[in-house]
Formats: sequence, C-alpha cells, structure tokens
Amino acid sequence: MDLFSDLLHGIASVLSPTTIALLALGVLVGMLVGVIPGLGPSAGLAILLPMTFGLDSVGAIVLLAAVYYGAFYGNTITSVLINAPGDAASVPTALEGYPMARRGRAAPALIIATIASFVAGTAAVVMLTLAAPAAASVTSNFGPPELFLLVLLGLITLVMLVGRNWVRGALSVVLGFAIGTVGIDIGGGEQRYTFGSTELINGIPFIPVAIGLFGLGEILWTLYNGVHASTRDPIKVRGKSGFWPNRTEWRESRGPILRGAPLGFGMGVIPGAGATVASLMSYSVEKSISKNPERFGKGAPAGLAGPEAANNAAATGSMVPLLTLGIPGSASTAVLLGGFLMWGLQPGPLLMEQNPEFAWGLIGSMYLGNVMLLAINIFCIPMFAAVARISLPTLAPLIIVLCAFGAFTVNGSIVEVGIMFACGFIGFFMRMYGLSPAALVIALVLGPLAEETLRQTLIISGGSFGIFLVRTPSLLLLCTAAALCVLPLVFPLVKRAFQRGLDRRRSRSAGESAEAGHADRS
Amino acid sequence: MRKICCVFATASLVLATSACGAGTLAEEDAEDYPDQELDWTIAFGPGGGNDIMSRTMVEILENEELYPNDIVVENREGGSGATGWGHVLSQSGDPYTISTTSGSFLTTPLQADTGWTHEDFTGVGLFATDDTLFVVPSDSDIESWEDWLEFAEDEGTVTVGGIGTVNVDFIIQAELAEQAGYEIDYVPFNEEGQMQSALLSGTLDATVSNPGSVLGQVEAEEVTPLLYTGEEPLEVLPDVPTGGDFDYENLVSMPRGLILPPDAPDHAREWWIDTMQQVVETEEWQQYLDDNHLTEDVRWGDDFEAYLEESATGLEETLKEHGAI
Repeated sequence: MDLFSDLLHGIASVLSPTTIALLALGVLVGMLVGVIPGLGPSAGLAILLPMTFGLDSVGAIVLLAAVYYGAFYGNTITSVLINAPGDAASVPTALEGYPMARRGRAAPALIIATIASFVAGTAAVVMLTLAAPAAASVTSNFGPPELFLLVLLGLITLVMLVGRNWVRGALSVVLGFAIGTVGIDIGGGEQRYTFGSTELINGIPFIPVAIGLFGLGEILWTLYNGVHASTRDPIKVRGKSGFWPNRTEWRESRGPILRGAPLGFGMGVIPGAGATVASLMSYSVEKSISKNPERFGKGAPAGLAGPEAANNAAATGSMVPLLTLGIPGSASTAVLLGGFLMWGLQPGPLLMEQNPEFAWGLIGSMYLGNVMLLAINIFCIPMFAAVARISLPTLAPLIIVLCAFGAFTVNGSIVEVGIMFACGFIGFFMRMYGLSPAALVIALVLGPLAEETLRQTLIISGGSFGIFLVRTPSLLLLCTAAALCVLPLVFPLVKRAFQRGLDRRRSRSAGESAEAGHADRS
Repeated sequence: MRKICCVFATASLVLATSACGAGTLAEEDAEDYPDQELDWTIAFGPGGGNDIMSRTMVEILENEELYPNDIVVENREGGSGATGWGHVLSQSGDPYTISTTSGSFLTTPLQADTGWTHEDFTGVGLFATDDTLFVVPSDSDIESWEDWLEFAEDEGTVTVGGIGTVNVDFIIQAELAEQAGYEIDYVPFNEEGQMQSALLSGTLDATVSNPGSVLGQVEAEEVTPLLYTGEEPLEVLPDVPTGGDFDYENLVSMPRGLILPPDAPDHAREWWIDTMQQVVETEEWQQYLDDNHLTEDVRWGDDFEAYLEESATGLEETLKEHGAI
C-alpha cells in the first residue's frame, strides 16, 4: 500500500493553511483568467508562471495546478454564457451550453458542467494515481503515424458534429483547413500565404478565429434577427427551479459524464491533440447513442456533460506523460515543464522517484483543487448566471469589448484583433448560409496537426503508406477508424433486423400464449 | 517599385534616427545612466530557454542591486522571435530597452522578411552557448558513436529528428551526416514532447535535443547519449564524446547573449558590459549555467558582434548548401 501512503503523504504536505490559500487563490485567478475570452489554461499559466518564483516548488506547483483547473472551468463559463470558447476542446460546450443559456437554463447548464468537471476530474486523478505507469506506456507507443490516425479519428467524428447538412459541413471543414495552411510549413520551412508579414509566420492563431466566429458572430446574428429589439425578455429565471438542473437534465447527463471521464483520460495521456479529440469524440458518441439526436445543437444536456467531462479528464490525463516520462502533452503542460526546470527539478521518468514529495504533492493538490473548484463554483454560479439575464443591448457592447480585449491580450497583437473582427463577420455569414463555425475551428486546429504528422510519417516510411499497417498501435487505431466509419451505416440495419426479430418473437409468443389460453379453456 | 520602396525606407530611417538624435536622448547625461525604468523584452513565451535565462539575469540584477531602477520584464512572443526583436528594433537609440538572444535571433531573419537581422542591433555580450545531445533509444543496442555509424551504414538511410527545418537542429543533423558519411531522412517536429514520444515509440532512429530537456530520459536509461556538440564534454556526462573528438566542424550552437536596440548610445553599452561582467561572476549565474547545462562562452561588445556575424554567415551557407533556404 505504498501508493496510498505516498498519496496521503502528498495530500498532507498540501494541507497547510498557506497551500490551501494558494489553492483557493489559484482556482479563483484561473477562473477569472479563463472568463476573459481567449485566455485559456496555457495563457493563464504563462502569465502566472513568473509570479511563482518566490514560492517553494510545492507551493508554486499547487498554485499553478489550481490555475490550470480554474482556467479550464473559466473557459466553460464563457462558452456557456457568451458563446466564446477559449480552446478547441470547449467548442462542444458552447454548442450545447449556449442554447441552454438562451432558453433560460444558464445556471443548470453551468451546474451540469461543474459537476461533470468535478466527477471527471476526480475520477481522472484516481486513474492517474492508480494507473500512471501503465498509462505512460501508451504514450510511448504514439509516434507520428499513430498521432496522425488519432487526428483522423477526430476529423471523422466531425461528421457527427456537422449532422445532416454534410455538404455545408464539409465546406466549413475545408475552410478551416485552408486557414490552417497559413504560416511556415513545418515540412519544408517555406512560408505559405503570409504575404511577407511576420505576424503570420506562425499561422493564423486559433483563439481570435474562435472568439470571432462564435462570440462576435453570435452578437451580429442576434442583432440581425432583431432579438435586441423584441420586447419579450428571452430569458427568465425564477427561484430555485431555475437554478438546479431538473430531473430529466440530471438523468441525461449521468451517462455521458461516466463515459466521458475514461475517454478523456485515455486521450489526454496521448501527447498532441488529446483534449480536443477527446471532447469531440465524447460529443459524437453521445449524439450517436442518444434517443433524441435532433436535440443536439439546440441545448442537449448530454452534449454538454459528456465533452465537459472528457475535456477535464483529458486535462488530468495530460499530466501522466509529464510526470511519468517528462514529456509535455499539451501547450499548458509545456509551460508547467518550463516551471519544473525553473524550480531546479529534472523532468523525466525518474521525477516521481527522485522528488516524491513534489510529484505526490502535485497529485494531492489535484484532489483538493477539484473539491475547491466545486465549492467555489456552487457559490459563484448564481453570479455568473446573472450575466445571462442582462438584456442584450447592455450586454452586446460589453461582449464585443471583451472579445477584442481577449484577442489582444494573448500575444499583445493588434493584428489578432483584426483577425477576430474579420472572423466575426465570417461567422455571421456562416450562420446565415447554414455553415458550421464549430467544424471550421476544429478543422483549423486538427488540420495542421494532421498535415504535420502525415508528412513526418511519410518521411519516416520513405513515402509508403504501409507503415500504418506494420505498427501494431497504428493498426489498432486504423481498425477503430474503420469501425467508426462503418458502424453508423451498419448499426441502423442491425437495429432494424433485431427489432424485426423481436417483433416477430413477441407476436409469436403473444400468439402462443393466446393459443395456450384457448387450450386452458378447452 | 522595389527601388522606390528602398529609397523611402532609407529616407524614413534617416529621418527617424535624426529625430531621435535631436530628441531627449542627446540631452541625457551619460553619467546619469541608468535613471529610468528598463523594458526587458523576452522574444519567447514563459518557461522556455530564453525566458529562464532572462528571468535569472533580472533576478541577479535585482538581488545584487546592480540596476538602480525598476525592470519590467515582458514576454513578446510570436513569429519565432520576429515580434519581440521587432519591438526592440522599433526602439532604436533607446538605452532603456534590452533583450536576450537565442538561435532564432540568427535563423528567423533567414527564413522570413523580419525587417531586421543581427547586424541591426547593438551587441552587449555573449555569456554562454546552448549545445545539443545526440541520442538514440536505449532498446536499439547502439551504445557508442561508432555503433551508430555502423548502424547507419547497414541501414543505408537513417531517420533522424529535430525541432524545425530552418534551425540549429537541422544543421547539426545534416552536418554530422555529411562529415561522418551517412545518409539521413530528417523529420522536423514542432514540439519537443512529440519528438521525444516519437523517438520512444520506435519511429525515429535518433534525435538531437537540449541536454536540459532530455537528461531525464538519459538518467532513466530510456535513451542513450552518443555525442555532444559542445566543445567540452558535458559535466554530467563526462564519458559522452564531443563532436571535436571526431574532428567534426561547424556544429552550430545557440548564442545566449544580450542586445540593445540599434544605435544605442555608447555609454549605455559600456554600462551594460561593466554590469554584466559582474553578473557572470555571481554564484547564482554559475548555478544557472550548471542547472541548464549551458557552455560558458563569454565575449563582450565588438567580439560578440563579430561572433554573431561569423555564426550567421556559417548558418546561412550551411542551410543553403542543404537546400533548406
């Protein structure tokens, strides 16, 4: 029971008043940072990292881990309330949470998201505690071919997100890919579509595009529809019934949370696209097994709870390669890794052995951080949800300022503010013509990653696609991808056949029992 | 058209410099320097090599009370350093703007039209260089550089990885292959994390990495170090041979130095050279060099600028030779 004594030791080392205070401070700061559209976990960490210099390593890591969680949750708040996801992984949250908020269910949507985050976050820390070494071996099986297939899986699941309107969906995806080609091509070092601008060397960043398409685009669209002028207040919240989710909403969220947590953790362990792919997959899983898939995109709690759980579990999952292998799996964990170096820690496979106090302190703080987040949120949600009650003429200018501010703060770049405004108009027209902004931003994130990993794979294999079949992990992924493509086609047929069989048997058994009844009587 | 642009650019540059000369800067007394807040630009994000160095320096300057005013540190990341150093460029003549250099200081202008090259800036000094460690997965049975050469010969072509294309990593891989006489397929990565998991997953034969980011893997015997590109062996790995042991040349390294904006006044440059001479003597600085496995290489003022010129020319030639630019 070494594990438990280590863990208890870790939690005990975090249980001093100072660390608890740091934890609370971190969660709050993280939430505030996350609430500004555009500032997500990695930006939050980057801003706060230099401030942790004066702290000892355990205090610093506790503070940063708390900021990390808090910012993840802050992202959820903006996604739900003003339709501005701060990273690709919270796109599904905006897709379902925002319509719920428009229907006057802002508080329930936030509570579902909080509970989903808490349950999945805690479950993921438990998985981290128990299975980190085993999970790490998964990471070290992921070379470029596997990563490419994983990204491909994510792209396949976009089909579910796009739904029936697949021509327009495909068009949105292609638009996303096109935007993704801007910048220095990692394969050859050539500049593509930068027109000599140094601002565009690193490509068109995701954040201003997402804020523009969703946040600003939504405002323009509401103005166009004249919602601001309608006398009817679109949102009413009355008493307790408007705060807690109702029974149906609970029931619809339970399953997705339980499915989303392990899915997210598994994906988070893989360096690269973890959280985005996880939340997308959860979304498509929930949509495909839902009894009312037509409600997705219009505020289905299942589509909010699943991806939210997956997203948070992935955040914890991405700590696995960081702690067990010293490999950062995401932008945020890369910043944390930089922090490790600053505190004089040597990241690598021996980190947990050589600095158990630090590693277990970090893990212990994750347990406490999740509890803290839940507690703070339950108190803050009424305040946040009040935002949804503010009338549009008051709120809209504020949101536009916030969007511009968010786009500017990340890199302090005025060009990115321009990109944000341009994308706002693009987002408006996309809505008008039924295109999918969600598909666009996800393609923008996954497209370049797919290109990069495919090119790496083909350099490694000398141009042959056989490499996907030779390596066991990639073969497994290939089978999964194939299954994902085929299942939706086969599933209805199987279901129908099964249903027919069932009907036949039922009618037969009905007939038999009727005959038996006759026999009895006679 | 281009000519006209050039004329305009030069004209505006002349105007700008003369305007600066006529402004506050000429009036400022050299003896009072420094008596204002310092704007310290880091051209990269927090947590990276450049960031850690800058913040260590600022900490020493503050602890030793060497800089009498406030120092405001700002990460101006973007465009592989283009944004941050572009900001320093725009502060031409200002002695209260300063920044640190790294490999991209030389390579980014080769790759993109940044509007500046290393020649534009006023060099204060070089303090250290960042060299790289050549590693293979430990389950590969390759235990020495000789084994590697044998392996490469048997394979015909080996697959090696590094960060970026127009970058130090690529040059090192290409130069090693050329001078040792083997063929490579170079796989460029964007991130260290993905590159390391690619190496561990058995898709790559070898990679080059910063000692700081890969030593953890070395200690855990996940990867085996075969060669170090610095001039002296790495302190923590004294048995790993250097490129020099095999007479390899041109194994470039990242310059870790300090620069002021173009046309910074001489008194400011002198002040910084004097001050930094004290900084590099401190225990904290030596500790930093040890912790981050940097090779100390101190050159001041003109020597530093000459060093940058030499490195940049070398880089450009090598990259052209290998068809990267």
